[in-house]
Amino acid sequence: MPRARILQVIRALVAVLCCGAVARPQSPAQRSLYFTVEEGDKLVTGLTEQNFRLTEDGQPVTFRLAPPETPILITLLVEYSQASGLYLNDIETALKEFMDAAPEGNWYALATFAQEVQIHVDFTKRKGEILATYSGLGQPFWGEVNTYDAIYDTLEKLELLPGRRVLIVIGSGLNTLSGHTLTDVQKKVEATDVVVFGIGAGSMLRGQYDAYLSTGARMQLTQAEAFFQMLAKKSGGQAFFPRFETAYRDVMRAVHTMLQHQYRIIYESRLRPDNKFHRVKLEAFQMVDDKRKDFTVRVREGWRFR
Amino acid sequence: MTESSAMRNGVFQFKDGGWRRLVAIPTILSLVWPVSGQQAKTSLPPEVLNPLRQALQKSYKELFDEAPKLEFSAAQIAAMRKILEDAQKSCVSQYKRRSDELSKQLRSEQASLKAASAKISDKERKDRHCKIQNLRALESQARVLAENAIPIAYENKKAKLELIEKWPEELKRIQAEIASGSYLQRRWGDVKDIGFRELVPGQEKDIKDGQEAVQQMKMSGLMPPEVDDPEVRKYVTSLAEQIGKHSDLKVPLKVTVLNSKEINAFALPGGFLFVQRGLLEAAENESQLAGVIAHEIGHVTGRHGNKLMKRATIASAIYQAAQIAAAILTGGAATIGTYYALQYGFYGLGMVLSLEMLGVSREFELEADQLGVQYAWNSGFDPSGFIEFFDKMATKEGYVTGLSWFRTHPPFYQRMVNSKREIMFLPPKEGLIQNSPAFDQMKKALAKVTARAEEEDKERPSLLAPVQGCPAPEKVEYKPGEPIEKLCPEPGFSK
Repeated sequence: MPRARILQVIRALVAVLCCGAVARPQSPAQRSLYFTVEEGDKLVTGLTEQNFRLTEDGQPVTFRLAPPETPILITLLVEYSQASGLYLNDIETALKEFMDAAPEGNWYALATFAQEVQIHVDFTKRKGEILATYSGLGQPFWGEVNTYDAIYDTLEKLELLPGRRVLIVIGSGLNTLSGHTLTDVQKKVEATDVVVFGIGAGSMLRGQYDAYLSTGARMQLTQAEAFFQMLAKKSGGQAFFPRFETAYRDVMRAVHTMLQHQYRIIYESRLRPDNKFHRVKLEAFQMVDDKRKDFTVRVREGWRFR
Repeated sequence: MTESSAMRNGVFQFKDGGWRRLVAIPTILSLVWPVSGQQAKTSLPPEVLNPLRQALQKSYKELFDEAPKLEFSAAQIAAMRKILEDAQKSCVSQYKRRSDELSKQLRSEQASLKAASAKISDKERKDRHCKIQNLRALESQARVLAENAIPIAYENKKAKLELIEKWPEELKRIQAEIASGSYLQRRWGDVKDIGFRELVPGQEKDIKDGQEAVQQMKMSGLMPPEVDDPEVRKYVTSLAEQIGKHSDLKVPLKVTVLNSKEINAFALPGGFLFVQRGLLEAAENESQLAGVIAHEIGHVTGRHGNKLMKRATIASAIYQAAQIAAAILTGGAATIGTYYALQYGFYGLGMVLSLEMLGVSREFELEADQLGVQYAWNSGFDPSGFIEFFDKMATKEGYVTGLSWFRTHPPFYQRMVNSKREIMFLPPKEGLIQNSPAFDQMKKALAKVTARAEEEDKERPSLLAPVQGCPAPEKVEYKPGEPIEKLCPEPGFSK
């Protein structure tokens, strides 16, 4: 018997004897997708199930539209380090604009990070606590900006909670001495059912001083932006990089508008929890005069089932 | 060289041998040590201190009656004070150490989780989360005990010891003032003219400031929601109005009952009174609640908010919320529960409101105590309800925080004696109310409000809340109301 054949038989036996559970077909798991439908700069609302097509790893999936869960659990994860000194003002503006436009009824939490995450306000419906607490934080103590660790740890906490969860990261996107790598964070976002928005603080400064930056510094900032873009793309959120102060107001209002107009699809996933990434594709379209008109869908790229 | 010559030559000028220093220094130190140090020996046998210890378990109200008959020597008092101080230090450091150790364990557990995070199974992750959660809860409890509960429990005991020591003399002075009629000359002594006298003119000018502050608080989102039960609201409004009518209030009273578990009430300039649900829960009878409300009305009639605003706006202009805070006079106390809640990120209004008031409100508190006692009495309530409630907060609820009440206020002893003195100066009145069926009825309605609020609290999501499926976090075996000795027995003393 050829060696390859022997190995094949051994593998099959091992699969049957040891890992029967894995070999059995997995029972369907209910998944929930939050997304927005866009046409240019506008959000498209009022679509029905007939306007969508969903595939998982290329296979069509049956689904239903469901009303979004309320209230939303919104966690604000804010960079607050000595190293953020130059753009702390941006961070504060972003936070203030976000809270000023925040609708009543949702749960809001505030956490900051430098060396590690500190939760200052656990979920509250009293919005004022967020800004009041932030204003009383005093000077940042640590000089680190461990963004990867902070996002990883926060997602780890959020994945334990039920309901609709949103993470708003306000910071530079730079990372200094995190224990977790970019890949760790990426895998965590893929595995966690949380929509992440990134608000790039310091972008205004970059716009002003771009010509004076070294190649290395420019590269680091580009990486930081790419990191926020990755978070948003993987989770179905969006990353913003306001280049002037008044833009924060529009950006933060845009986040609220997006949350307000998100659709929710529920479907039964037949994928196995194999810790591998599985791509999700959601198409939104409308038939106009027998012609299909496609929209842009802002939805997570896929899932990593564990 | 003799000791005296050594002292003449200068204590440390020994010429003929270092061994003499070994003998001389302790001898000299023992001679120059203060007398109080001698008295502070804790070597008095326990049976000598036991009666004093038992007396310290009594309420302020009982001690006011009994202290003049108690006969404790200066040595007993000094020894007890030393015991309390030592016990406080030892107890605080014990829990501080515990908190530090737990904090170290927590950090190490978190670091180990971080290192292994990508490799461990979900089950192991959950177990580690449970462990971290338990450590957090224990560390938080130990810290709260060390920083707040223990110091306040001992401050309260020391205040009672001071009362035992000083009240007999103070009582004589008060009686002498009554006998001579000089008590009538005290500030705001014209109690028969309450409502017709002018304390500080211009209360109506504060209405605008108060309205603005209320507006700002509502806009800031700091205001807890109102209690939605009409029966509770009606009762509190009617009680406050009754007191208002019998006070020096010249502005309409606007009463709001907030659905928050803080044991607190506060007044904004211009007659905006806020009573929090926790206060209604904690009050055992109507006179206690009336005492606190009357105290708050005292702030309004004394225009303390107006005065504080003038002072504090300049001091804290950098923080808008502080300006609101400075205008608000908190009259509340939070329990240890609030502190645990704080560790989990929830905090109440009092926390934000009173921080800026440090050092600016002491004199106003004493004045509000005096006016509050007068108003409660004038409205027909037993004015000692205020003392009772204060005692309950400090002794039974214990652990009253320094943030919304005690840190900004004069020492316990001074406030208690000040209130008692005023009660003694008031003309006798028959049939003062301690409790009423309306109060009991309100309590029944309140129980439903509390049950609903607790149910909602359970549904509150949390980034720090217990991980589902973990065993409940361990707790220190100490409940509010128990003597502090249960937490850490006093050193060198056995029952």
